[in-house]
Amino acid sequence: MKILAPLRHSDEVVPLLEAGADEFFCGLTPPDWQARFGQAWANRRAPQSAGVPDSADFEQIVACAEGRPVYVALNAPGYPSGAVEILASFGADLLSGGAAGLIVADTDLLLALVEAGHGSYLHLSSLATCSNNEAAKFYRDLGIRRIILPRHLTLNEIESIVIPDLEFETFLLNDGCVFEEGLCATTHAAGSFCTMDGEGDEAVSPETRERYAFWKWTLNHCGCRTGNDYPMGPCGLCAIPRLLRAGIASFKVVGREASLPRKEASVRIAALALRLAREGAGPEEIRQAVIDLRGSPQMCAERHLCYYPDLWEQKESLCSRG
Amino acid sequence: MEYGIFVHDVAPLPRDPRAVCAASWREILPPGTLRAIYFGSEFCEFLLPDAVQVARYCVHARDAGVEAVLMTPVATPNGLVRIKKLLSNLTAAGDTPAIVFNDWGVASLLRESFPALERRAGRLINRGIRDPRLMEKEPLSNNSGERGKRLRTMLAGFGVSALETDPDLEGGFLGDGCEGMQRVLYLPYAFAASSRNCLIKADSALTIDECFTKGLNSPCSGLCRGESHRIDRSDTDLPLWRAGNTVFFEVPKSRAEVYLAQADRIVIYERPTP
Repeated sequence: MKILAPLRHSDEVVPLLEAGADEFFCGLTPPDWQARFGQAWANRRAPQSAGVPDSADFEQIVACAEGRPVYVALNAPGYPSGAVEILASFGADLLSGGAAGLIVADTDLLLALVEAGHGSYLHLSSLATCSNNEAAKFYRDLGIRRIILPRHLTLNEIESIVIPDLEFETFLLNDGCVFEEGLCATTHAAGSFCTMDGEGDEAVSPETRERYAFWKWTLNHCGCRTGNDYPMGPCGLCAIPRLLRAGIASFKVVGREASLPRKEASVRIAALALRLAREGAGPEEIRQAVIDLRGSPQMCAERHLCYYPDLWEQKESLCSRG
Repeated sequence: MEYGIFVHDVAPLPRDPRAVCAASWREILPPGTLRAIYFGSEFCEFLLPDAVQVARYCVHARDAGVEAVLMTPVATPNGLVRIKKLLSNLTAAGDTPAIVFNDWGVASLLRESFPALERRAGRLINRGIRDPRLMEKEPLSNNSGERGKRLRTMLAGFGVSALETDPDLEGGFLGDGCEGMQRVLYLPYAFAASSRNCLIKADSALTIDECFTKGLNSPCSGLCRGESHRIDRSDTDLPLWRAGNTVFFEVPKSRAEVYLAQADRIVIYERPTP
């Protein structure tokens, strides 16, 4: 039951610990990677805007974290020929250097790291799209430690996927994705493909295109807005009690490339919601606490920001039956 | 070279499988014999055929003297139940198409519960980049065969008979064939992106509460079945289509040719199909 916070620099560790982070994830690119592999990224996010600058800063991150786990994302969906060996070796070095685990999506890299005896340090990235319990068993049998579930699952589905002897992590705050991220074969290196999706698609009704544009706007933090300095993006805070009951071990605050103030605010509100849930608060109480901080009650009432809007479907149907 | 054709209904099959695609593609495709018909869905569990429909395809394939291949998608928990039920009904009725899996849960289900069915690894097992904006810009790759080697070894060890993909940016995914699996290439369309937050499904929704994230629990009647339409984007010159929950593009022939050298079978899609 941890809040997982994003990092791109060692300077962020202490403020995020103070905000309530329990563990961290970051991205790091092997030295000389670009010279060899060009535009291909070592992880899903841009090394310049979302990655830790270098190994020295990573060492500093581990030192500042004071024993809290720091995971490193090596989670590009696929790699060019020759890259897996380099990343497997780099990953081993990171583990020796204090990384608590590696976040991996590509099956070949996963197998290389398992072969090298690092299975129990591997987190399966959401990019691998583990969306049913048989898939979870498959990965458990490979010996990995944690599965990061894809964004677009309902709570019922999450409850059905969780199996024993594996940790599970779910998305909690920020940065939606229009497509299923693991089934998006495009790269942000060429810009966000989804930004233009649906525009001018005349086979789809104007009303649906308008709904689509609004939904995409919410995924993009309502046009990068904040409410009282808290992020206005996708949010699963009210679902924490149910996710805890389902056995979720870690709640992911997304956004390595975000500013430190946004990260701090995100971790602070996530930690508050987790504390309330641990103290026995239900979804309504958490929602009210979030609205008290973030404002914009209409966005919550109409479920526009919900990662898990089905939480309220059940409650609404119970109310209507009652 | 041998061929498969993705079919949308039970209809006469062409003598030359290349007749299914445009003339410009026929020029680069080698001659060969039709050996299989493919049907089902790779991207959407709502588009899976039922056992009666699959049985019809199996009879059609048998009559034509070709293999029947059922494609299955990435599966939610409900989708997995649906696939299991479908496979149970098929095997009980004696219909045994080969199965393309695109999900490790489906692969496990096949190994454990339906070991007699031939298993083929589908294109979503390859998560390589297929960005239409880069397909004509990035250099063609060397296809060294090293890429994906561990994956291929594992698949072969699981008794998987074929590795199937559309052309991606990096190339080399099908390997050199030393693992003993058939290497299959889908043409002329590659997928760019897919989602449960289906724009076409949303278009048939009555309220915003049945759209996108809020609509994940809503059923879909599969109105997109067999349908696709062109979409235009200013950031690529490649032709794009939306078919159900997936965006496809026509692969540049230069990139297809790199992959052709590795393929034992080509599966031709008459139109983009999720």
